[in-house]
Amino acid sequence: MFKVVVGHSNDPDSVEAVAEVLEQCLESLAEITPQAGILFAAVDFEHSLILQEIYAQFPDLELIGGTTDGEISSVLDFQQDSLTLMLFCSDEIEFCAGVGTQASQDSLAAAQAAIKQATSKSKQKISLISLCITLPDGLTSSGVTIIKALKQELGSNLPIVGGLTADGGKYHKTYQFYNQEVLSDSIPIMLFSGDLLISCGVNSGWNPIGKKSTITKAEKNIIYEIDHQPALDFYQHYLGDLSPSIEYPLAVFEPDNKHFYMRAPISHDATQGSITFFGDLLQGAMVQMTEGNCDGILNSAELSMQEALNDYPGTHPDAALFFSCTARRQILSSRAEEEYKFAKKHFNAALPSCGFYTYGEIAPLESHGSTLFHNETFITLLLGTK
Amino acid sequence: MKPNSLDYEQQLKQLKKENRILTKKLQRSQERQIQLEETNQKKESLLKRVILDLEESRDVAEQRTIKLSEALAQLKTTQEQLIESEKMAALGNLVAGVAHEINTPVGNSVTAASTLAEETTSFTTSVMAGQLKRSTLNNYLDLATEASEIILSNLQRAGELIQSFKQVAVDRTSLERRTFGLKSYLSEILVTLEPQLKKTPHQVSVTGDETIHINSYPGAFAQIVTNLITNSIAHGYPTNQSGVIQLDIRHESQQIVIQYQDDGCGIESQYLNNIFEPFFTTNRDGGGSGLGMHIVYNLVTQKLKGTIKVTSQVNLGTIFTIVLPLSDF
Repeated sequence: MFKVVVGHSNDPDSVEAVAEVLEQCLESLAEITPQAGILFAAVDFEHSLILQEIYAQFPDLELIGGTTDGEISSVLDFQQDSLTLMLFCSDEIEFCAGVGTQASQDSLAAAQAAIKQATSKSKQKISLISLCITLPDGLTSSGVTIIKALKQELGSNLPIVGGLTADGGKYHKTYQFYNQEVLSDSIPIMLFSGDLLISCGVNSGWNPIGKKSTITKAEKNIIYEIDHQPALDFYQHYLGDLSPSIEYPLAVFEPDNKHFYMRAPISHDATQGSITFFGDLLQGAMVQMTEGNCDGILNSAELSMQEALNDYPGTHPDAALFFSCTARRQILSSRAEEEYKFAKKHFNAALPSCGFYTYGEIAPLESHGSTLFHNETFITLLLGTK
Repeated sequence: MKPNSLDYEQQLKQLKKENRILTKKLQRSQERQIQLEETNQKKESLLKRVILDLEESRDVAEQRTIKLSEALAQLKTTQEQLIESEKMAALGNLVAGVAHEINTPVGNSVTAASTLAEETTSFTTSVMAGQLKRSTLNNYLDLATEASEIILSNLQRAGELIQSFKQVAVDRTSLERRTFGLKSYLSEILVTLEPQLKKTPHQVSVTGDETIHINSYPGAFAQIVTNLITNSIAHGYPTNQSGVIQLDIRHESQQIVIQYQDDGCGIESQYLNNIFEPFFTTNRDGGGSGLGMHIVYNLVTQKLKGTIKVTSQVNLGTIFTIVLPLSDF
């Protein structure tokens, strides 16, 4: 048995919203007690209060979650300033949550702490872990560093999927949830053990534009120079006086590789001319400006879903999770609600699904390949059992 | 009244919720508007810049194209000049060969004639002094007969040589059309190459149908055969072993097939596609210009409207097959 239910409320009032979400969940659960939950909440809610209410209803729940820049679910489709909860019940799959804090000081130690906490609750062998979902803070440390730390502990073959928490486009402070705790600068994880079937789809819809240049000075996730000029000059060549922002990422071509991945800027230093990105960059790699447009973005959401459906090993999935980049929502603007509509073209509308707009996406390019950090993508994760 | 008041409360609750949602959405939509404007401004700036950059690189590309076409035109002129000078150099070689070849019979004639002159002087002195003996007369007559025979045969040989050189040389320079026997003409070309071939141990022969007469450009044939043979000698036999080079001509439906075959070291397959390209040589240090086979290719395909194919096996030899359409003759 593997049952997944979803609740979603767009009431901006925290008490009312959580009550509505729980009411929907209880109705769908029909007396079954859920073991685990994933919560996506807009940043303006009173998160502690919401978690208290959830735990009053389900005291033994294993929960992770985080703040967002938009929420998606099979209940209310696309929303902003809303609250959505996905609950899992199963007698064959085991769910264990964990969290590591102070990730910016030592990502590896934080990842180790989270995994240790989760596995210590498990009655299953570590080798039976089949999926890790994570919702880390991307404003305090680089997404690439966090994934590297998790992979080091979990092995590079375990699929790790998730997104960096967001704060409604303010880029000031994001929050993560672990059980009833509201944290920042942390790495919450949920380990799924047992015979879980999963598949992933990753697609972006952004395209390189303009001339190729070389990163001539970079350290971790900061670029200092491109073609021996301040990195900011490269951006200003294209954007004029406007600041680098997440919807204008760089396409990165590593040496001898025709394929590119994207790195989106978080912030910049006008005096140094340097730009900080959500993921690490390689000195010597070629970069190019990129451009994303509505049609390309909507099309890519559909492709991501199709890719996941094609790869799905079972007959039909029991749930879907989506992690979509905040830049996509920003460019789509009033058409943002179309993205989920494009994605769900290919599956039964009743499939419980839930997702959020992130500051960076995490997923393997192939369902069982090594996990990578992405920007500007729409990630589909399908879950089910035999 | 109680159910009504419950209904009313329910509606009020719903309205309050909707009001909260709308207030939040309004606030969001204003934020969204600002965000969208900025995003669009950035896109406009980006696209403008990309268009400007593209225009710039288009201008640069246009200028480069002009420069490249100029350079190409210049290269073509140089190539034509080189081909022309290669032709002239070949003609120069021919003239040197002719001079050398004619030198022998003419030299023999001069020696015989001067001996005859000396003997005639001493014979005349004897006659004037009235001391002429019968034996002296007989000796003189023998010598005079022998000398005139030598002079005659040598001058005849020189005459023959001049005749064939003249024809080939005229054909080479004029490249005019005329009717000629193909096999006998190819044999004449071999005679003109005799000075070069004599220095090598190779055997060169022409076989095939003697009756083929064509109206074509003999000069082109002369140059093709000369270049093929020169090429075989220069590249085919690096270790000085003696080779057999054969030219065979035959009639085949509406075509004339000239097969040129040597039993030299062959051409490695990697070079086979390049050998007709201008300036392609594996022997630039040895003085190869890389134009010989290119000239052959041009003459066959352009002047004679035919085709040329090459097949080769390393250490076994190389075959050039020239096919000429008969309708053209």
